[in-house]
Amino acid sequence: MGRLRGQHAGGAGAAAGPGRAGPGRAGVDTVCAPAQGGGSAVIDMENMDDTSGSSFEDMGEMHQRMKEEEEEEAEGEAGAGEEEDGEFLGMKGLRGQLGRQVADQMWQVGKRQASRAFSLYANIDILRPYFDVEPVQVRARLLESMIPVKMINFPQKIAGELYGPLMLVFTLVAILLHGMKTSDTIIREGTLMGTAIGTCFGYWLGVSSFMYFLAYLCNAQITMVQMLSLLGYGLFGHCITLFVTYNIHFHSLFYIFWLVVGGLSTLRMVAVLVSRTVGHTQRLILCGTLAALHMLFLLYLHFAYHKVVEGILDTLEGPNVPPFQRVARDIPVVSNAVLNTTAKAIALTL
Amino acid sequence: MSLCFAPCPRCQAEEQPAGGGFVPSDMLLSPQQSYSGSILQPACSPAAPSQLGYVDGFDEEPPLLEELGINFEHIWQKTLTVLNPMKPADGSIMNETDLTGPMVFCLALGATLLMAGKVHFGYVYGMSAIGCLAMHALLNLMSSQGVSHGCVASVLGYCLLPMVLLSSAAVLFSLQGTPGTVLALFIIGWCSLSASKIFTSALAMEGQQLLIAYPCALLYGLFALLTVF
Repeated sequence: MGRLRGQHAGGAGAAAGPGRAGPGRAGVDTVCAPAQGGGSAVIDMENMDDTSGSSFEDMGEMHQRMKEEEEEEAEGEAGAGEEEDGEFLGMKGLRGQLGRQVADQMWQVGKRQASRAFSLYANIDILRPYFDVEPVQVRARLLESMIPVKMINFPQKIAGELYGPLMLVFTLVAILLHGMKTSDTIIREGTLMGTAIGTCFGYWLGVSSFMYFLAYLCNAQITMVQMLSLLGYGLFGHCITLFVTYNIHFHSLFYIFWLVVGGLSTLRMVAVLVSRTVGHTQRLILCGTLAALHMLFLLYLHFAYHKVVEGILDTLEGPNVPPFQRVARDIPVVSNAVLNTTAKAIALTL
Repeated sequence: MSLCFAPCPRCQAEEQPAGGGFVPSDMLLSPQQSYSGSILQPACSPAAPSQLGYVDGFDEEPPLLEELGINFEHIWQKTLTVLNPMKPADGSIMNETDLTGPMVFCLALGATLLMAGKVHFGYVYGMSAIGCLAMHALLNLMSSQGVSHGCVASVLGYCLLPMVLLSSAAVLFSLQGTPGTVLALFIIGWCSLSASKIFTSALAMEGQQLLIAYPCALLYGLFALLTVF
């Protein structure tokens, strides 16, 4: 596309501009009459400099630069500013004017499209109905998440709510942080906060997505929000277990909590999923995966930060283990001779 | 607390001595004399000079603090509101976008942490910025009417004051034992109760105070972690 209609660039031309601005410069063959008096509708692209800003990204920069240069001119640096403008942007005189208009219009249209897309996709109001809860409801759901259901023959109701799960994930982050701080965990690549947030949110979002994908494969009746909600409330057991065992350090206590509390919340999730799936194989796949991931996550959270605590406790209270000491070894005469011989042999070969 | 919604601080300007200093005693509440300028609005620019266009002459310029919108008396009144979580709050408190008080409290928190040997200004800044963004998103999702970033930042900043008390205690004794933990939990509860009280009264979310108090408690718990460890 060799021609740009400057005067009509506000409509279709400008809309096509951003898409074609890139390759537009590459294959120009047409030579058009150069613009005269600023009223011509045609720009000779061939005679434009390489820096004429034909890519969309450059438009924004050009626009910004033009604005700044206009301000500079207003302050009385007209001569130097225009010269710089002309040389730098590669547009000379009247062609520069037209180029500026076109660039400006393309920028405006691009900006409008971007803001429309942003307001469409980044609108958090679509999440509004999932946060409409009462404290009583949240408390009831928290307690329910520890009670496995018995009726698996017809689909169990899952509350599609995101407030409880989100708060539980943040609570888990806080408990992890507290545990890391009390055990003086040092994270070399990253920060404590980043690690904790990454671990918890990664688990919640990642495993939910994975389970939703598996549920889609196994033909289970569950939506993404319900899956997020189910797994989020399942983290309540994790929060309780970790809160207790980060403060009271007994391995056996942790294993009891892991089995009982972790097991109860896993059983609840599994039962709900089973009630919504048809077919033995599919039920087995879904529930096995979820149970394994959920229980293993609790195990991981405990042991990733527990070792350090144990180590400190041992040094503080356990038998006195002296720090590692370097002791000079006496090298016997025999080995000395061997060393010298070896050194000579190597020297000869080199 | 009686509030004057008239935005005209002319009487305030007349009472000012020529030097521009504030005289707090003149601003005490009395039933007959209403507050000049709303306590909840940062002092707006004086009406008279703005009608004349830009002021000419040094003598006619408004005092610096008034021009900046910093009113120490208002800040003090708002602080007192925040410090008493049991007193029911006024709904119009959400109109405020005064960030001077919060800024002072954040700096005080950083300074008291510095006195305890921890240089954590960056952490305080980062955590308050991210906390404000998160609370703003959550409150917009949970309430029928929206809030602005300034209001959220202002309320959260004012409710940070008890945390400054905790970090001053950390200067005197280590908080890593049981009494320190109990004190920290008490202060977290105090901060989050104040903040949730203000948010619920302003956004008409009566039954949901606990639901808002919990995320506030998590945020202030982070500050407490910073102070204790």
